[in-house]
Amino acid sequence: MIAEDAGLSKKDTEYLLSTMNAIIRENLMAEKAIQLQGLGVFEIKERQARVVVHPRTGERTEVPSKNQLVFRPVANIKDELKKV
Amino acid sequence: MAEKLSWSELRRALAVRAGVSEKTAGAFLNGLVNQLINGLKSDKQVKINGLGTFKLQTVAPRKSVNVSTGEEIMIEGYNKIVFSPEAGLKELVESRQPSDVSLQPLVFSDQPNEGDFPIDPIKKLGEQADEIVGLLAEIDSIEEPKEEPKEVVEEPKEVETPEEEPKVVVPEEEPKVVIPEVPEIPKEPKVVIPEEEPEIIVQRPKKPEKKKYHFFRDVLISVLILLLLLAGGYFFLRNQLSGILESLLKPEQEQTEQVESPQIENPTPTLAEGEGEEESPSQLDLIPEGDIPQAQILDEFNAISAGEELEEPYSDLITTEPMHEGSRLTWMAKRFYGDKRFWPYLYDANRDRISNPSNIEVGTPIRVPRLTQAQLDTTNRASMEALDKLRIEAEAACKK
Repeated sequence: MIAEDAGLSKKDTEYLLSTMNAIIRENLMAEKAIQLQGLGVFEIKERQARVVVHPRTGERTEVPSKNQLVFRPVANIKDELKKV
Repeated sequence: MAEKLSWSELRRALAVRAGVSEKTAGAFLNGLVNQLINGLKSDKQVKINGLGTFKLQTVAPRKSVNVSTGEEIMIEGYNKIVFSPEAGLKELVESRQPSDVSLQPLVFSDQPNEGDFPIDPIKKLGEQADEIVGLLAEIDSIEEPKEEPKEVVEEPKEVETPEEEPKVVVPEEEPKVVIPEVPEIPKEPKVVIPEEEPEIIVQRPKKPEKKKYHFFRDVLISVLILLLLLAGGYFFLRNQLSGILESLLKPEQEQTEQVESPQIENPTPTLAEGEGEEESPSQLDLIPEGDIPQAQILDEFNAISAGEELEEPYSDLITTEPMHEGSRLTWMAKRFYGDKRFWPYLYDANRDRISNPSNIEVGTPIRVPRLTQAQLDTTNRASMEALDKLRIEAEAACKK
């Protein structure tokens, strides 16, 4: 479908897609956010460490901070999809 | 995330990497975005291989309150885009820990070290167990009826649950000593009493001071051990005793039947003491009604109503038994009638000899009247009321 849209062969599209994924990963690893025009931004967010309590044992455990991949859609897409 | 890979940068990187023109790369990216949006609109879910899944999530309408006016408002439902990265990508991202903290949960050590906590309680309880077993041996070696020692043994059990210890021991047992209902033998009881109960009382309070986490567990374990020791000791001694008891009781009965005078000597001056303290009026009421009185079989006054019976002299006696040191009317009632609650009858039958039912001289011969079935029937209202009347009188006598 992307192929049709962009006038490319399916093979090329798949190739481009995988390449794009590779780029996205590399940049994420470099702590760079990736902007896709008209869609949104992929970025890494750090989730802060927090303390959880085991409900049964009452054991207190710290969940270490971790990174999370977050996608933030662009405002107009957000609005557009709200009403779907 | 300071830096951002812009659209144009991405396009250029893609073009270079894939060996296509920037234009093609741009077209591809645009196509991707469009497909994504359209797919979300139509299917609500789009998966991009190697990246992740985009989903449209519906947020249900909900009520809220306008913060400034306090007015209730309705927040309409809407859709939002949720992106969940593919497992591989997610791991990749998460593995990039900012500080490379391992995922091992870190357990807080807010519980006290067990090392700090001495095993003393167990030792102490062990000592106590020994003491109590020793005391039991003493008690049992004295010719006390079976029932009594049993009560003695069981009382401490209840008391020994750790949390209750400090409180229960004091209020429950001490008042009992004072309670005048139960006839007490003058002077003597006090000699031995302090040996048994107070030891328990003295040692117990120390433990609760160490309020640590594993304290109660330890105490529970040791209490169990203690109980086992007690039970073992009790049953062992009881078996040995029953033989002795029977042989002793028979001669007594013979004596008393012949003479029936107040002057019968106490054939068994004993050290029995202590046990009586644990009897209390409250316990009397707690006795289940199911007990089958021994005398029931022998009753000869079935026809006579309980009320009338009370007025009559207690002519038919089971036996006359001298008051043992440390014995109680309630115990005798339990022994002969199967229920402690019938002790007022004993008082009633011996008014001429007993001035204070809670303080009967050792050796005082106690007439044990035969009671009728009606009197022994705890469900019989008339007899129970009569019994109650007697009990009030007896209690009044205690206070004089």
